[in-house]
Amino acid sequence: MKVFVIDVGICNGCYSCQIACKDEHVGNDWTPYAKPQPDTGQFWMRQTEHIRGTVPKVKMHYIPIPCQHCDEAPCIPACPIEGVIYRRDDGLIIIDPEKCTGCKACVDACPYNAIFFNESLNIAQKCTGCAHLLDSGEWTVPRCADACPTEAIKFGEESEFKELIAKAEVLHPEYKAKPRVYYLNIPKKFIGGTVYDPVEKEVVIGASCTLSSDGKKLTATTDGFGDFWFEGLEDGTYSLKIEAKGFTAKTFDKISTEKDVNLGDIPLSK
Amino acid sequence: MADGKGKTVDVKPDKTVIKALALGGLLGGGGECVVDVKDGKAVRIRPFHYDWKYDKKNFNAWKITRNGKTLEPLMKALPSTFSLAYKKRTLSPNRIKYPLKRVDWDPNGERNTQNRGKSKYKRISWEEATDLVASEVKRIHKQYGPLAILVQGDGHGECKTIHTPHGHQGRLLDMMGGFTQQVRNPDSWEGWYWGAKHVWGQGFQGMMSPAANLIKDISENCDMVLCWGCDPETTPWGFTGQYATRICYFWTQAGIKQVYICPDLNYGAAVHADKWIPVLPNTDAALQLAIIYTWLKEGTWDKEYIKTHAVGMDKVEDYVLGKEDGIPKTPEWASKKCGIPEWTIKALAREWAKKVTSIIHYFGGSFIRGPFSHEPGRLECVLLGMRGLGKPGVHQCQITYFGMPRAEGLKSIRFFNPQLSERLKIPCRTTIDAWGKQLIPKTLIQDAILKPPLTFIGSGGQESPTEDQFIKYTYPIAKEDGGTEVYMIWTDTPCRITCWNHGNWTIEAFRHPKIECVVAQHPWLENECLYADIVLPANTTLEVEDIITNTRQGPHFQSVAIQEQAIKPIGESKSDYEIVLEVAKKLGMGEKFSEGKTTRDLQKDVYDTMEMDDLISWDEFEEKKYYVYPVAKDWENDPPGFKKFYEDPENNPLPTPTGKLEFYSARLAEHFPDDRERPPIPKWIEKGETHDERISSERAAMFPMLLMSNHGRWRTHAQCDDITWTRETPTGKVLGFDGYKYEPVWINPIDAEKRGIKDGDVVKVFNERGIVLCGARVWERVRPGVAYVDHGARHDPIIPSRVDRGGAINTIAPNGISSKNAVGQATSGYLVDVQKVSGEEWDEWRRDYPEAFKREYDPASGLRFNAWVEGGME
Repeated sequence: MKVFVIDVGICNGCYSCQIACKDEHVGNDWTPYAKPQPDTGQFWMRQTEHIRGTVPKVKMHYIPIPCQHCDEAPCIPACPIEGVIYRRDDGLIIIDPEKCTGCKACVDACPYNAIFFNESLNIAQKCTGCAHLLDSGEWTVPRCADACPTEAIKFGEESEFKELIAKAEVLHPEYKAKPRVYYLNIPKKFIGGTVYDPVEKEVVIGASCTLSSDGKKLTATTDGFGDFWFEGLEDGTYSLKIEAKGFTAKTFDKISTEKDVNLGDIPLSK
Repeated sequence: MADGKGKTVDVKPDKTVIKALALGGLLGGGGECVVDVKDGKAVRIRPFHYDWKYDKKNFNAWKITRNGKTLEPLMKALPSTFSLAYKKRTLSPNRIKYPLKRVDWDPNGERNTQNRGKSKYKRISWEEATDLVASEVKRIHKQYGPLAILVQGDGHGECKTIHTPHGHQGRLLDMMGGFTQQVRNPDSWEGWYWGAKHVWGQGFQGMMSPAANLIKDISENCDMVLCWGCDPETTPWGFTGQYATRICYFWTQAGIKQVYICPDLNYGAAVHADKWIPVLPNTDAALQLAIIYTWLKEGTWDKEYIKTHAVGMDKVEDYVLGKEDGIPKTPEWASKKCGIPEWTIKALAREWAKKVTSIIHYFGGSFIRGPFSHEPGRLECVLLGMRGLGKPGVHQCQITYFGMPRAEGLKSIRFFNPQLSERLKIPCRTTIDAWGKQLIPKTLIQDAILKPPLTFIGSGGQESPTEDQFIKYTYPIAKEDGGTEVYMIWTDTPCRITCWNHGNWTIEAFRHPKIECVVAQHPWLENECLYADIVLPANTTLEVEDIITNTRQGPHFQSVAIQEQAIKPIGESKSDYEIVLEVAKKLGMGEKFSEGKTTRDLQKDVYDTMEMDDLISWDEFEEKKYYVYPVAKDWENDPPGFKKFYEDPENNPLPTPTGKLEFYSARLAEHFPDDRERPPIPKWIEKGETHDERISSERAAMFPMLLMSNHGRWRTHAQCDDITWTRETPTGKVLGFDGYKYEPVWINPIDAEKRGIKDGDVVKVFNERGIVLCGARVWERVRPGVAYVDHGARHDPIIPSRVDRGGAINTIAPNGISSKNAVGQATSGYLVDVQKVSGEEWDEWRRDYPEAFKREYDPASGLRFNAWVEGGME
C-alpha cells in the first residue's frame, strides 16, 4: 500500500510540488483517473506557509498537503453512489470523473479540504497520487515527489518507510480518517530571547535558562549572541528563569505558547 | 492496476526533449528539464535526470563530508519552480502572435512619438514589418550615420545558443558600420565591480577570484557562514535552480551556523537561518565599520597577515578609530544607523573573530545595489582581509555560482560560455563587453536622450578591466569618428522601465520626438513593447531547435544537450535570430548574417569548439541527445579561493598595482582626488551629491521608510510575471478589493498599524519620483522601517511616468548612478512612504484616466495585452 512521507524539516517552500501537480493536471485529460482541473483555484497538492515569532526571532516552515488517501476516508461513505469514489489496491483513492454527478457531498465531507469542485465540468476533483503515471510502469513516484528538490516528499510502499513512519505524525488525528500521508519534523512552538547587560551594552553569554511547566524542566544556555531557544514545545503555560553570574536572576511567569514567543532583548541587572 | 474497471490511459509521450529552462541565458544553461510532447502539445515539464541514458558510474560523482554528514549530488536536476511552469510562458495569453505597427506612427508622415504608450497597434505582415525596419535602418544610416541606432541588446533570458534571445541586431549592425551600444552595467554586482575591484583586483565582475573549490573548503572548515544580503533560496532559481538549497540543509546537518544579515526574513533565512540580524537597507557599511572597530580595540584580527598581504590598513585604522574625522565608528555609532542593537553588533564581531567564517552571496540580494554600494563592497574585502582571506574557511563565495567541484573536459565556469565560436558569441558580447563604437551605460540612457551631451567615467562593461573605471567617455563621441546622437532604438530587452533606474524617465525618453523609430522584438507584449512603433514577435525556447551548454557551475553535473523543438512556433513568431535574419535579407546582408549555416551546422559547431570529440562521438551524441561531464578525478586538489595568495603573496600577487589587497587605493586617490562618495579608503557615506537617501535626510520627513528590492522570488528580473500558478501563491501577488492582483509590498505590523494598513490592502508606495500601487503583506518577515518590493513586475500605467498599477517599483527608484564616478544603478535602499490609497484618489484616477481602467484584465495572468491590439490578438 502506498504512502507519502513528507519531511517538513527539509521542505524549503519552493512550491514546486504545487506547481508540478498543476503542470500535470491543468489542460491534460487523464480519464478515467482524472479530468483536467481548472487553470487556477484548485490545489490538489496544497502548500501551506507558517510564520512564527516576531522580529528578529522569526522562523518559518511549510507543510505541503495532498489528498491524504485516508484508510477511513470520509469522502467514500459521503458519496451517494457506490463505486464512484473508490480505493485502489495500492491505497490511492480515486473519484471517477465519468461517474461523478456533481452533488458536492464529498467536497463538504473531506475534513482536510482536499476535494475541489469543478464548476464547468460539474465534478468533484482531487489528488490521484498520479495513479495514471504509476500504472504506466515508467513512473514510481507522483509529479510532486519527482519535482521536490530536497526529497522532502517521498512516496512508495509502506514497508519501505517503516522506520520513518514510526517517528512520524499525521495531520489532525482527531478526524479519525487514518491518513496515509505521514509527516516528520513539524515544528512545535518556541520560546526565544536575547539576554544582555544594559549597562555595559553587551550580550550575556552562558546565562542559564530554565523553563518549567507541569513540574517538567528544560534548560538552555545563552550562546555567543546571547540567544537562547527552547524549541519543540507543546502548547501550554511556562515559567522561565534566567540566571547569570554577577546578575540578579530574572523570571517570566505565565508564558503562553499558544503562539511562538519572542521575549525580545532581555536586560539583566546587577 | 487501473481504475475500478481496469481501464488505463496512455501517458507515453511521442517524444521527450531536453530544455534548459533557467533564465540566465548567455550561453551558460541551467535549470535542466525535459518536456514530454504528444500530438504536438507540451504535456508536461519535469526535472532532467542525468542518468536517463547513461550509467551514473560514468559521472564520478563528488562527495563532501563534515561531522559524519555527507553531501552528494542527486541524479536529477533541480530546476526552479517557474522553470517547471514554463508552459505558461510559452502559451501565455500575452504572446505577441504577429508583427505589429503602432496605428498612428507613419514613417512617411506623422510619427506621433508623444503617443507611445497610449496608442494601440495593428497587425501587419512580416513582409511589411521587415520592409519598414530595413528602410528605417537605411534612412537613419544615410541621414545621421550608423551610430544613430541605439542597440538595447543585452540581458539574461532563455537558455538558447543558436537562437540566443539578445544581441543579434548588434551583430548585424556591426557588419554595416557599427551602432551605439547600451552597455549593461553590472546590475547584480555593482558594489563588487565599482568597489571590490579596487581592493583585490579584477575578480569576476569584482567578486573574489580565483574561486575554485569553495563549497568543499567551506563545508570542511567553517563553523559559521554569514549570508549577507544573500538569498540562496531565490536568486539561484533564475540561473541554475535549487542546488544551493541542498548545500544549506547539509551545512545545518553538519553543524555550520548560518547567520543571515538582511532587512527581510528572506526565503533562505526563513528555513536556514540560525540567527537573523535585520539590518536597515543599505546601512551595512556602518555595521561593517563597527565590526572593524571592535576587532581593532580587542586585537582580534590577523595583524601578521595584513602586514604581508594588504596596504592601507593604517588609514583604515585612523578612520575607524576616529582619528581622521573625530567620529569613532563604535557599535554605538553604528547602531543608530543600521538599526541593530549595540550588543548584537559586538557579539557578531566576537563570534566572527572566534569562529572560522566565510561570507556567502548570490549576487548579494539588495546589499550590493544601493547608493554608494562600492563602500560595503570594499568593506567586505577589508573584513575578510583582517581574518586572513584565503586561509582555510575564509572566503567570499557566490554559492554554487562558483566553487563547485570541477568538471573534466570543461575549460570555463563562467556564466557565459567563452569557448563557443565567434558566430555564436557575438550576440552575447552586447551583454558582456563594451564593444560598440559609441557607448551609453544603461543607467544613463534616459539622460543621454533627454539631456545630451554626456560625460561619464567608466563604461560599466561587465568584462571591462578595472582600468576602464578611470577612462572618461563622452556621448556622442567625436563627429569625425562618426559620433552622433541616437535617433532610433532597436530593443530585444524591453524591460528597462521595471528593472533599471527611475523607469518613469525611461518612458519620457522613449517618447522624445528625436527618437524617430522604436523597434522592439520580444515574445510577450509587455513593458517597453508598449512604447515601440514596430513590434516583432519572438518565440520561446520550447519552439526552437537548438543546443545548450549547461556549463555554468551550480547544477549537479555540467552537460551539453541538443534541444529539439518541442512544439511549433505560436502564431507567426520567429526566433530572435530569425527575426534579425529577415531584416538582414532586406538589407542585402542575408548571406553574410547567416553564413549559410544551418541549425545542424551550428550544433556541430558547438560540439567542435567544445572539443567534445575527445569525450563522445558525434553519432553517439546525436543519438543520446546529451552528454554529462564527469567530475574531474583530482578536483579535490584545486586550491580553494585565495589559498595561494594566502600562503605566498609575493609569488601569487593579486592583479592590483601593489599585488596586495589595497584597502587604500592609490589609483582612486590619483584619479578622483575630490570624490567624497568613493574615497580612497571605504567609508560610511551619509549623503553625497548623487544620493540623499538616508533616514537622517530632510526628505525622510515626507518619506520615512527605506525601500528595498531583491531579485524577484517568482521572476527572473522581468520574466515570468504572468504565470497564473505562481501568482496564486501568498508571496506571488495580493488580490485587491477591486479584483486586481497587486505586486506585494512587505511591511512590518508596527508600520502598518501606524498607517491603518491591513494585510491585503491596496497601498501606494511613493516618493517625489512617482507612485506605485502594491498589495500590502503585513507580517513579521520584514523589520520595521522597511518597505520591500521586488523589481520586475509588469508595468501597467494609470498615468504613464507618474502612477503605475502593475507594481513596477523601479519606476520610482533613484535616477542617480551608484556615485558620481561609478555608472552603476542604485535601485535598493532609498526613501519612500507607504500609505493607503484614499477613495478620493481612486475616484480622481478613474475620472481622469478612464482608459487605464478599461483595459482587459484577468486576475489570474494579469493585464491582457491583446487590449492594445486593434481587433485583439487571439
